Amino acid sequence: MKKIISLIKACMTSDMGIFKINLRNRSKMSKILIIVFLCFALMTGIGSYVCAVLEQLKPFNMQYVCLSIFVLFISFMTLIEGIYKSGNLLYNCKDDQLLFSLPIDKKAILFIRMFKFYVFELAFNSLFLIPLIVCYAFYTKVGISFYITSIFMILLLPIIPIVLSCIIGTIISWLSSKFRFKNIAQTIIAVIFILGVFYLSFNVDKLLSKLATNAKSINDIITKLYYPAGAYANLAIDFKIQDLLLFVFINVIVAIMSIFLLSKVYFKINSKLQSVKVGKKKKVKSSVIKNRGQIKALIRKEFNIFFQTPVFIINAGMGIVLFLIFVFMIMFKYNSVLSALASSGVDIAYVSNNIALYIVMIIAIGSFTTSITSSMISLEGRKYTILRSLPISSKRILLSKVYTASLLTIPAFLVGDILLFIKFKPSFIIMILLLILTVLMPLVSHFTGLIINLKFPKLEYDSPTEVVKQSVSAFASVMLDFIILIALVYGLMKLMNHNILLILSLLTLLFTIIDIILYIYLAKRGTKIFNELTV
Amino acid sequence: MIEIKNVTKKYGDKKAIDDVSFTIEDGDIFAFIGHNGAGKTTLIKAIMGIHDFDEGDILINGISIKSDPIACKRIMAFVPDNPETYEHMKAIDYINFICDMYDVDTETRTNNIHKYAKLFEMEDKLNDTIDSYSHGMKQKIVLIAALAHNPEILIMDEPFVGLDPKAVFDIKEVLNEMVKEGKTIFYSTHILDVAEKLCSKVGIIKNGKLIKVGKMKDIKGDKSLEKVFIELEEEK
Repeated sequence: MKKIISLIKACMTSDMGIFKINLRNRSKMSKILIIVFLCFALMTGIGSYVCAVLEQLKPFNMQYVCLSIFVLFISFMTLIEGIYKSGNLLYNCKDDQLLFSLPIDKKAILFIRMFKFYVFELAFNSLFLIPLIVCYAFYTKVGISFYITSIFMILLLPIIPIVLSCIIGTIISWLSSKFRFKNIAQTIIAVIFILGVFYLSFNVDKLLSKLATNAKSINDIITKLYYPAGAYANLAIDFKIQDLLLFVFINVIVAIMSIFLLSKVYFKINSKLQSVKVGKKKKVKSSVIKNRGQIKALIRKEFNIFFQTPVFIINAGMGIVLFLIFVFMIMFKYNSVLSALASSGVDIAYVSNNIALYIVMIIAIGSFTTSITSSMISLEGRKYTILRSLPISSKRILLSKVYTASLLTIPAFLVGDILLFIKFKPSFIIMILLLILTVLMPLVSHFTGLIINLKFPKLEYDSPTEVVKQSVSAFASVMLDFIILIALVYGLMKLMNHNILLILSLLTLLFTIIDIILYIYLAKRGTKIFNELTV
Repeated sequence: MIEIKNVTKKYGDKKAIDDVSFTIEDGDIFAFIGHNGAGKTTLIKAIMGIHDFDEGDILINGISIKSDPIACKRIMAFVPDNPETYEHMKAIDYINFICDMYDVDTETRTNNIHKYAKLFEMEDKLNDTIDSYSHGMKQKIVLIAALAHNPEILIMDEPFVGLDPKAVFDIKEVLNEMVKEGKTIFYSTHILDVAEKLCSKVGIIKNGKLIKVGKMKDIKGDKSLEKVFIELEEEK
């Protein structure tokens, strides 16, 4: 036990370094305050959404449904994220050599890896669960038992999705270990798994109707669909200590069993993943050696990092892929979407009149859900020293990262634009403004991501997943993008039925100004921060 | 030529480098020695413009690293103590990347890559990704990349760590060849017998302060460099 505590302490100290509060250090305090503010803003946003849902459910006295649905949603998100994170978090970590050389059980090493995963998900899930609990307590008469149950729920709800994703992550790692190009194999297999989960979740109609026929209540259906979601609602309505203990017992058993089972294959898969197959020996062709110029070479290097880091590809790629799927759905299913809207009382003419603003929203969703630059500085890691020793300005290094992110996102968004233009045939001037916005909006996300990463760099890490998905920078960047997106969508909804051309012109002007300010900040202050980084 | 003028670098209140001054002329091989944590890597990173410093200045061929770091870096090459590279790149792509940063023309880089890859017996391994290499092989790739752009000044932080005897011999030959061409070499090391035989000048740093600097023969006199170093280390 002493060993485990020492291991947890050692592994967590480096990860949580930023949260060591030092009141004398103003810069550190301001960074903490930024994070606290972003968390607060997100929780307020979630809380207001929960309140709106509870308001609708209150007349029917069915507030508990909100608990179940939110738990289902959070668990599903944790599972999806976990599928592509777990392989990299559990296997092929930088401190493998150190940990495997120590006289400790493999189960302890696996436990440490899963524990780090758990701590992050616990923090992430809390951002959703705390507003849910507070709003539920506000709308429903609750006793002390509800709060006790909720504390247990916050602590235990991440366990099952984490265990499931670790099992899937292990299967992905095992499959990819059989290939020569393991990273590419891992990316492809993980994408197949994630799309599979999406497909299953969109096709649960039959399962739901089967559950509904035998169920006594909505909560009964949810309990049968996903036990923890239903259990929380049941405990909130009718608290029984034995039910709570059963819930705790099930989660603890699941966690212990998963560590026990996965540890059987953990070392074997890890060893296989670390073995590198070398190609046939051959001399380099002269044509390979050529001068490309600094910026091109830097972009090539960034692309190499991107395509060799599965979690990076999936994290950025999923946003782009989902954006394109969304656009294709609008292209080919627009009429059925419209008739569904009409049947639910939405004015179709209103939608058609404001279609340009809906297109802006779609582009904004694509732009502000594809976070790429927020981990690009951190991913340099110890190689930062190489970059700084080279005769190239820091501004060029930073801009090459923005160019790379733009090359990865903007072409896909432009394709989406063209498809939407074919479908809706807006006027020429509106098309031009939309195209400009398609370039300007992702740039805002890329600039802010990079600036946030400069403020919260994590140059020492055990696995790229830690910086791409679990770093303060990635978190803050996602939060900021989310806030911008919410504000933009809210603003656009309020501006519907006004002069579209004027709105688009003002938006273009606004994003141009924001991009210029961010560019100047990055070029002046950003380069200074970059130069002062230490490894 | 490298001129280090009253350089001080602080980490908080602690001085990692304390008012260090010395000059390395063209054609010198300078060995920089000191115990672990003495400030060797800190000074090397300051010379390379990787870290800023609080006081003083460093001139590279008369240009200040503070006022024009790009011009200074253009004539230098750096070999870090740990061969950190872009592991997923093929070795040839990594060397090409470094050459691109130095704007090396295709002909020069082709000749140098072939020359040094052959010397370090890496010619048929350049097509492999760096993550398949041993520590020594990575060090060789970093060296090839550093030498491929014909630097006037070569800065190395413990370059012999992890290399096989043949590679150490080859590097010494390369360094001697560079010195004959009037180039400057500055390197930190713990391998004192190699430094003693190879270097024309030596500097000894202790707790951030330069305690001895000068020509090798003047510093060591009749004793071995190792004995001089130990004696200095034991002095309060």
